[in-house]
Amino acid sequence: MGNKQTIFTPEQLDAYQDCTFFTRKEILRLFYRYRDLAPQLVPLDYTDKPDVTLPYELIGSMPELKDNPFRQRIAEVFSADGDGNMTLDDFLDMFSVLSEMAPRDLKAYYAFKIYDFNNDDYICKSDLAKTVNKLTRNELTPEEVSLVCEKVIYEADADNDGKLSLEDFQHMIIRAPDFL
Amino acid sequence: FYFFHGFYEEDKLVGSLATMPTNERIKAIQKMPETMKKKREIRNKVVKEITKKSRHRSTQLPCCMQCLQGRVVSFRRFGNSLSEYFRLLWVWHKTLKIIGAEFGTSVLSYFIFLKWLLTFNIFSFLINFSFITIPQFVAAEPNSLSFTGLELFTGAGYFQQTVLYYGFYTNATIGKIENGPSYNMQLAYIFTIGIYFVICFLILLFSIAKSFCRNFINPQAYSGNASKLLCTWDFNITNEKAVKLKQKNLSTQIKEGLTEVNREVLNFSVTERVVRIVIHLFSWVASLGTAVAACAGVYFLSINNLKLFVEGHRNDLESQAAMLVLPVVTSLLNAFIPFFYSWLGHLERFQTPGHQIYITITRNMVLKISIVGILCYYWLNIVAASESQCWETLVGQDIYRLVLVDFIFCLLGSFFGEFLRRIIGTTVWVSLGLPEFDIGRNVLDLIYAQTLTWIGILFSPLLPGIQMISFAIVFYVKKVSLMMNCQPPRKVWRTAQMATSFMFLLFFPSFLGVLSVIGVTVWRLKPSEECGPFRGLSSMYAAVSEWIKILENYTGSKWVVWIYYNLITSELFFFILSSLVLIITYLYWQIIEGRKTM
Repeated sequence: MGNKQTIFTPEQLDAYQDCTFFTRKEILRLFYRYRDLAPQLVPLDYTDKPDVTLPYELIGSMPELKDNPFRQRIAEVFSADGDGNMTLDDFLDMFSVLSEMAPRDLKAYYAFKIYDFNNDDYICKSDLAKTVNKLTRNELTPEEVSLVCEKVIYEADADNDGKLSLEDFQHMIIRAPDFL
Repeated sequence: FYFFHGFYEEDKLVGSLATMPTNERIKAIQKMPETMKKKREIRNKVVKEITKKSRHRSTQLPCCMQCLQGRVVSFRRFGNSLSEYFRLLWVWHKTLKIIGAEFGTSVLSYFIFLKWLLTFNIFSFLINFSFITIPQFVAAEPNSLSFTGLELFTGAGYFQQTVLYYGFYTNATIGKIENGPSYNMQLAYIFTIGIYFVICFLILLFSIAKSFCRNFINPQAYSGNASKLLCTWDFNITNEKAVKLKQKNLSTQIKEGLTEVNREVLNFSVTERVVRIVIHLFSWVASLGTAVAACAGVYFLSINNLKLFVEGHRNDLESQAAMLVLPVVTSLLNAFIPFFYSWLGHLERFQTPGHQIYITITRNMVLKISIVGILCYYWLNIVAASESQCWETLVGQDIYRLVLVDFIFCLLGSFFGEFLRRIIGTTVWVSLGLPEFDIGRNVLDLIYAQTLTWIGILFSPLLPGIQMISFAIVFYVKKVSLMMNCQPPRKVWRTAQMATSFMFLLFFPSFLGVLSVIGVTVWRLKPSEECGPFRGLSSMYAAVSEWIKILENYTGSKWVVWIYYNLITSELFFFILSSLVLIITYLYWQIIEGRKTM
């Protein structure tokens, strides 16, 4: 197999293959997608590990993400600085977890982080309220939203601290085969 | 202190990863919920640890270390690129992804089911063609009939004396070389088809078990609301319209859920309850009555068909066309009675829409099963006992026509149901809107077509090849029709449960029914005297028992004879096997019950 590409060293590609669920071809294809977002910022030679970060606006405009109501949270969770600005590593990481080859517990872990808007490792009532509003496009009244949040916490909270921890969330995911 | 604690944890992790075999190690690293940078660090540390360890181990051969390492790395790279090429075989992968993105996972499950059924047919065609048809080409008799174009529709005429049907196959042992190896056609026929059905049975059983395991919801512990909120967002959807629809759907559901809580459960008065029960009874009687009427119609039509065929051997246009009446009428019944059932479903006001869907699907299933059942009864009892020359070929031709007409009706249904409906919905009667893709109905059509194919394998070994082509065409037509004409589904389907129930429906009524039909044919029916590989025997199975008797005379194959007499034909063995299966099932059930209460 000829190594015709000069973007990554073979060791870099091996490392990417070991750390994500992608094959070599897919990693290269993803690199080109990343580069297409901003060709002038992203160099074609990554062998010296350049430090390039793309701003959130470019990431959020990708066709896969642009209609997803959670795109901002997804970018924030996977970006290194928490602001939604992603390096190539973060980009590959994000798509690796969102791909169909990632196991469910890994997706559940990241889903928990996505729904945790204030990053305190718990899904509290305000996090749930924001989630509900994003899921229903702000069509429910605030009373309805708060009723829904109370019901959800009542049903899923196992340790009765008024908020959902990672264990509560994973416990719920195991019972729900529709989780994608 | 905190730093050191972190380092200690990491060292333990690196140590445990270094001791795992390569595959597991890679999987473990991939599954770690850390950032890419962290994972790469850990991975590099692990690789260093491994090279340190192997260097310690092989201090005797220091010069070979480098080349061995290099060889291992290049071997892994080769394996990776090989797996990349295997991914090219994921036919239609991109199409399926696009469908899932535009319409959601519920519509996608129909196409995945179609692809799965297609692989069954491809497998069957390949083994039938290699083990039965190719040897037959070697010993073929010349075909004296002429070819007119109509044969493609009726399956009769020229096709009667080709490898398409059972009647053409020889019962001889084919051997072109003198004193060389010979090929026993009878055994080949019965063993190929038998082994195919055994493999299908095992595949279906394991798929259902796996699906059940993953998707079975414990109804007591199913916390409806929390999961509904946090787990039903379909992250696969990337189409803006579909996203908006899903959001609207979710908000409507949540509003309904809230109003249900605020309102008490409706207490129907006694008269209302009685009226509801009467309506339910009436619609069940109506649906079962229609099914019975349809079956009676099919039965009388087929008896007429037989009379036509046995009496008049004219090969003119009129009698050929008359042979198509039965399949066309069957397909018309299959196409229009479901509309009547869904109208009945609207008439009865069910408590939940889920109820309505399941009951309508059940009624459709009952209709299709009864039609297939009555046809099988007709074939096995009437055609097999008739005085026609080659009843198996007759049955094969009937099935061929049914499959073909069903395929044509499927295409027509797509044209009328989706294309014309879209034109009507957007120009003439705008309030109707775009049509939705009717998943339940389409899946039942697929199961019906596959049932017919499975029944037909014994009588027409190349039928799976025809069905293979038809499924491929249906896939493309449905995909194009879906993209052009339909809108994403408005109802919320519980996709995982749905996929399980499709497979369940395929297995239980469909496959087991086919197995019983094939069983009756092989064990009980007398093959025709003048045609086919089993001519002159008392039953198709007699070929196997005669072969075993011949084997008894060879000392080398005593074990085969022993297995046959003591395991396959002995009732004691099956009794012990069934009791074991029942005991294991009971134990598993108790374990699951025990886990529920924990």
